[in-house]
Amino acid sequence: MSEGKQPVSRRQFLNYTLTGVGGFMAAGLMVSPLRMAIDPVLQESSAAGDFTNVKLAVEDITDEPQRVDWEIEQVDGWYESKVGKSAWVYKDENGDIVALSPICKHLGCVVSWEGSDDHPDKFYCPCHDGLYYKDGMNVPGTPPTAGLDIYEHKVENGMLFLGKAQPREEA
Amino acid sequence: MKWIKKDLQQFIQAKEYVDTAVVPLLPFQLSNDAKLDKDAFQSEALTVFLRELEKELTGRVMLIPEYHYVKTADKEAELDRIRNWMNDIQAQPFHHVFFITSDSSWKKHEQALPGTMIWLPITSDESADPGRMQSIIREHVQQVSELIRSYWKDSKT
Ligand code: FES
Repeated sequence: MSEGKQPVSRRQFLNYTLTGVGGFMAAGLMVSPLRMAIDPVLQESSAAGDFTNVKLAVEDITDEPQRVDWEIEQVDGWYESKVGKSAWVYKDENGDIVALSPICKHLGCVVSWEGSDDHPDKFYCPCHDGLYYKDGMNVPGTPPTAGLDIYEHKVENGMLFLGKAQPREEA
Repeated sequence: MKWIKKDLQQFIQAKEYVDTAVVPLLPFQLSNDAKLDKDAFQSEALTVFLRELEKELTGRVMLIPEYHYVKTADKEAELDRIRNWMNDIQAQPFHHVFFITSDSSWKKHEQALPGTMIWLPITSDESADPGRMQSIIREHVQQVSELIRSYWKDSKT
């Protein structure tokens, strides 16, 4: 949906394909938020406080979670690559913006809002039927043992900017 | 999961959750000038596709390193080599094995492949518009993960 709107230059796409192997490795590193949190090298490279405009106007955010996708440059030591990121974004009952990481806290598959017809009003992980409530907390009795990470966010000129996804405080 | 140290450390811990192996079959050739760019593009696109697919289903899928072969090679001989790979891979308890390729010549040998073949018809015609190419790949990822999930569902019941 939203990626269709994003203009992608030829160069960007070439980078996307040509840096395939590097992106591959980087993508793997991104999967572990824990590693991000404890590894100062990685932390430095993604410069805490780096926010990306995810091309979503705040007025277009509803109480229904929608998926946004964007790309960030990532430097791992000497290697620079582009990494695709995603978030589920909505406004909670107080009107506050919530941006959740789609990475399942069990083994890292990508969860979807209402991804299973059997589980309305939940985030669903297709890999081992993991479930999360709308606020991102894991449903007890399903494989995940923690809630989805939460993105830092800020609003500038009516546009949503997302920063780093942070694990929740120990539940 | 991929065949990299970090993922394999996790794999050892969580084996019982990783029941699916995906084996990419990637042809290459350097002998036919007329098709070089086309063939290479197909391979690039499939690589991007695999990276995205792996991301989507990383917790249950092991992405096997790419199986490369010369495009014109005799498929019977390749099948022997693939079976060797599989003998090793099957030392782990994978219930589902998918072979992913955009080389249509495997179609004839589908039955002989020790797993389910998924043929991905990626053409280079779309490459004129990278934005479109990206969304095509994304669509393929959605469809193929649907398909893989349907196998998971069937094995549950
Ligand atoms: S990876 Fe999400 S439930 Fe296992």
